[in-house]
Order: sequence, then structure tokens, then C-alpha cells
Amino acid sequence: MSDAPMLELQGLKKSYRGKRALRGLDLTVNDNEILALLGPTGAGKSSTLLASAGLIELDGGTVRLGGDDVTRIDPASRDVAIVFEGFNLLPVLNVRDNIAFALRSPAFREAEDEIARRVGRTAELLRIAHLLDRDVGTLSGGERQRVAIARALVRRPRIFLLDEPLSALDLKLREGLRAELRQIHRQYRSTMLYATHDYHGAIAIADRIAIVDGGQIQQAGTIEEIFALPANLTVGKLVGSPSMAFLEAAIDDGSVVIKGAAQRLALSGFGRVAPSGGKLLLGVWPEDLEVGPAGAAGGSAGSIYAVDNRGFERAVQVETTAGSFRKVVPLEFPAEQGEACSFRVPDGAGFLFDEASGRRISHQDGRPA
Amino acid sequence: MGTSKSSALDQAGRWLLLALLIVYTIYNVGPIFWLLLSSFKSRMDLFSMPPKLFFTPDLSGYQSVFGVGAAKDSASAVGVFDSLVNSIIVSFSGTALAVFFGTLAGYVCSRFNFIGKGDFMFFVLSTRMLPPVAVLVFYHLMFARLGLADTRFGLILVSIFANVGLATWIMKGFFDGVPREVEQIAIVNGYTRMYAFIKLVLPMVKGGIAATAGFCFIFAWNEFAFASILTTTQAKTLPVKISAASGATGIEWTQICAAGVVLIIPVLIFFYLIRKHLLMGMTFGVLGRR
Repeated sequence: MSDAPMLELQGLKKSYRGKRALRGLDLTVNDNEILALLGPTGAGKSSTLLASAGLIELDGGTVRLGGDDVTRIDPASRDVAIVFEGFNLLPVLNVRDNIAFALRSPAFREAEDEIARRVGRTAELLRIAHLLDRDVGTLSGGERQRVAIARALVRRPRIFLLDEPLSALDLKLREGLRAELRQIHRQYRSTMLYATHDYHGAIAIADRIAIVDGGQIQQAGTIEEIFALPANLTVGKLVGSPSMAFLEAAIDDGSVVIKGAAQRLALSGFGRVAPSGGKLLLGVWPEDLEVGPAGAAGGSAGSIYAVDNRGFERAVQVETTAGSFRKVVPLEFPAEQGEACSFRVPDGAGFLFDEASGRRISHQDGRPA
Repeated sequence: MGTSKSSALDQAGRWLLLALLIVYTIYNVGPIFWLLLSSFKSRMDLFSMPPKLFFTPDLSGYQSVFGVGAAKDSASAVGVFDSLVNSIIVSFSGTALAVFFGTLAGYVCSRFNFIGKGDFMFFVLSTRMLPPVAVLVFYHLMFARLGLADTRFGLILVSIFANVGLATWIMKGFFDGVPREVEQIAIVNGYTRMYAFIKLVLPMVKGGIAATAGFCFIFAWNEFAFASILTTTQAKTLPVKISAASGATGIEWTQICAAGVVLIIPVLIFFYLIRKHLLMGMTFGVLGRR
């Protein structure tokens, strides 16, 4: 094996009937890692996976697998496996033949006794051995996805491309299968590109996360790296649960002023700040924000707009003159809907964004606070 | 009190529904029943009023239709056997070929984008819009010049042209219902698109093919306008033959009824043969389940 990354996408461009799905997308997936491609519907996740598999014709860009340029290579010769969100199992074949499907193809043919051995072992691993002779129409959603994963796994491809493989399942099944995928990954040392719109799912399974939106990668890195230095507004909106709080702000005489709020933050806490002419937004991870009773020392005024009970904790939506945000608070937090409260941004806990371009303009030296 | 009132209403509704169903059944089955009875009646029984439900069966109609038995040498015998064979050959080959080409074209229109696809689909549909009568004379001249007049081959061509557009449209709809993932799964796992089409996609649209064949067969079997003008003696189909059957003694109703029964039977056989797949075609949504 070479040292080249398993999958390397460069400048992928793709339009569907004039609508641009990929606008110069760059992405690298290293050997033996799980990379989650996190983005909203229509961000370009599926197109990225289909392009990696060679199932769509690109308008531009290159795809490299294990260092080889495979942009013009047909899908069967790329040795990748793909699992889709919904439709995966061929209805004309039973479970066993669906799993063995690839191993009987001209490209990946194996001897029948080897097929039986591998199908049996893989079915065992995914706990579907008892389903092998069933018709695929009789399977439940969770069983279907297990069979689909088994079919991908049985071949030991260079990379697994998983396109929202679990999002059609209910929460419990999803968490269970996610854990199994990680387990399989550890056991087989496989490389996976896992597309999802689910933030929790992405951070639970992935070694690294790539935030995708508008057909481009917004930021790629470990979740710690992303939390430490979010690249732009889009990343802040897509990462975290609840996602980043954005407050209207301005720079005035060496400090950052939150619109209508009493608190002033020293500009020196924001690292090197690039000059910006337009409106500014102060982005703060909700975990860093302090919310307390009305009139707390050093706080700014806000009000509780809504409270969600989450069992062991609560989520509050706080309205302020600079914007609203959501934050998870302990169950005993004294907040009722409509009540006044206060909020405070701790020193060094925020990032400045240029609202028009979405770019982060603070911490230009690349050091988190 | 309220419940008894509503149950009385329910009861009334049920009777009304039953009455409607009876009327509808008579409307549908009545003519066929009448046709069947009449085909076995003698001339005397046929015109008796009120119509007889019980009578001695008389096979003269069928004898005369097939030109056998007592009617073997009769001048009024129709002798439909040749035209029955013509009809079967023309309808079955026309249907098979129209469905074959329609399936291929429908798949291409469902899966591939090509320049002028919308225009092509409209053109295909437009071939069914023209009333046959409008082009009959031209067809007659063309077929005469090409030596296709009064040949089964010519009628098969007409049947294909008339049905391939419909077949393309119906089959495109069924292929649209097959997820693209079917081919994608096959291609990623080392198979060709041709394999995916023949071994995976086609079995999934079996029902659609049966339904399409059903439609095309009905059109081909009942086709009258072209067959009546393009055939003279050799290639006459059954509908044309029957319409022309009026003997020396006026319209032979018994004969016509017997011929009508003969006309219906192949249709019944055809739909009996494809009934299992037809049901699959009509419940296609189940197959497309995600």
C-alpha cells in the first residue's frame, strides 16, 4: 500500500440541468479512517459519493483512489462499495444472493465454496444468518440495511461509500447499527466515507468530519479542530446541537459590542482580526455561553422564549436584542417561558464572522482562544 | 334510538349499492350472455318474443361460421377459419414486436437524457393521435405499391406502428418506478448495465410488460379500419370478415353471434395466460417500496 490517501477528490464539478450540485469540491479520505460528510439536504453529499463510485459523469475535477487517477475508470474497476439510504436490495434475489451478488460478478468472481464461507461469516458478523434464505420483501428496515452493509462488507472493497445508510431507521436501531459499523471498522481496518445530515450520527461514528454545503467542503477536520476554529458561518450553523449562537455585534474602540447588550468584550481576546467593512456576527458555541437569572452581575438582558424538556436536561431558546440562540441547561435551571434572564459571553469564547461573506475574521493567526 | 336510525340508513345504503351492482353487472355481462345464447339459437328461436332462455341448442351458426357440417357446401357459409388464423398471427406478432421495441425505447427514455427527448416522447405519442381514417387512402396506395397490400406482414407492420408509441409510454412509466439504484448497485458490484437491464430491471417490470401487452393486444385484435382497407381476400382478419358476413338471405344473426363468440375467445385466452403478471402490474406500487 502506498502512502497516498485512500480517496482524493479534487475540484469536482457537476451540474444537473443547469443546477450546480458540486462547485469545485475537494476532499481527502485517509486510509483506515471514517470520514463523515456532514451537510444538509441538497448540499452535494450524494453527488460526492456517486462521483467517487463513478456513477455520475463529472463536468470537471479528478478522483484518485489509493493514488491512482480513476476519473475515467468505470465503476466496476474502482473496487468500491456503496450503501444507499433507501433502496439497496435487489428484489429479484433472496438475502443470500443479495449478499453474494458482487462475488458472482465478472469483476469480483469467487469460487462458490469461498462465497458460501464469506457470506456465512459476514452474515454472522451482522447477525443476519437466520435471514439468509428469506425473500428481501419480508425484511424490516433495520434488517434491510444490515443485508446491504453485509453485501458491501463481503467484498472487502478499497473504500465504503455510505449514503445516509441509517437515516431511514428509528433512533434505537440507528444507534445500534452505528456502533456495529464502528466495531466492523475497527476489526477490518476499512476506509469509510459516511454521508449524513445528522450531526450526532456524524460525530459518533467519524474520525474526522467534513462539513459540506453548496457543493463545496466548508471545513474538514476532527470535531475538536472544528469546535476550536470554525471556518465560517455555515460550519457554525451545521455543527453542534444546538448549533452556534450568532449575535449581532460591532467593533468599537478596542472592544466588541453586542447589539443592545451591556457586556463589552475586549478585542484582544479575539486574536488577530482581519478588517471588515460590513456587519459583524459574534458566534459563540452554546456550551460556552452563560445563561442566568435576570440581573446577574456582568450579564446582558434577554428573555426565555421557549423551553423544551429533554428528560435529564432542558433546552431554552433565549431572545436578545442581538438575536436569539438555543442552549441546553440543567433540569434545575430556573427558567419558565416568557421570563426575563441574562446571558454573558465569557472572555475568549467567541468568534467574529463577516455576515455578508460568512467568513471568520477573528483568530486570523489560527490559534483558538 | 340514534343507532337504530343509522343502522336503518346503513341497511338502505347496502341495498342501494347492491341494486347498482346488479344493474352494472347486467350492463356488462348481459350483452355477452345474450351473444352466447343467440349463437346457439336457431333462426326461429332467435326472433321469438319474449326471448327464450330455454331452447334446443342449434349449432348451425357455428357450422356456417367454420364452413363445416351441414353448412359445408352452403353458399351462405362464412368460413372464418382462415381469418381467425390471420387475426391470431397478426395480433400476436404485432403485440410481441410492439412490446419488444416499446420496452427498449421506454427504458432509454426513462434512464437516459438525450437531446430532443421531450420532442421524441411527444412524437411517439402523436403517432396515436391521428384518426386512422385520415390516412387510410395513402396507406392503401403505399401498401399496394410496396406489395404489402393484403399480406399479414403488412398488417403486422401497421399493428407495430400503431402500438409501439403506446407501449413506449406505458413502459417508460414502469421503468420510472424502478429505482436507479438497481443499476448502480449492479455496476458498482462488477456487472454491466446490460446485465442489470436484462436480469434485474426486466424482472421487476414483468407486470408492466404484461399490462402493456394486454393493451396492445386489445388494440391489435380489434383493429378494423386498416385491416378493412388493406386486405381483400388473403389476409382478412376476423373483425373484417364478420362485418362482411351477410348471406344471400339477408343478415345471418345466428352466424354473426357465433362469429362474435369466436372473436371473444382468443382475448379471454390471452388475458387468462397473462393474468398473474397483470395483477403484479396493477399493484406495482408494492414493488417500488423503499
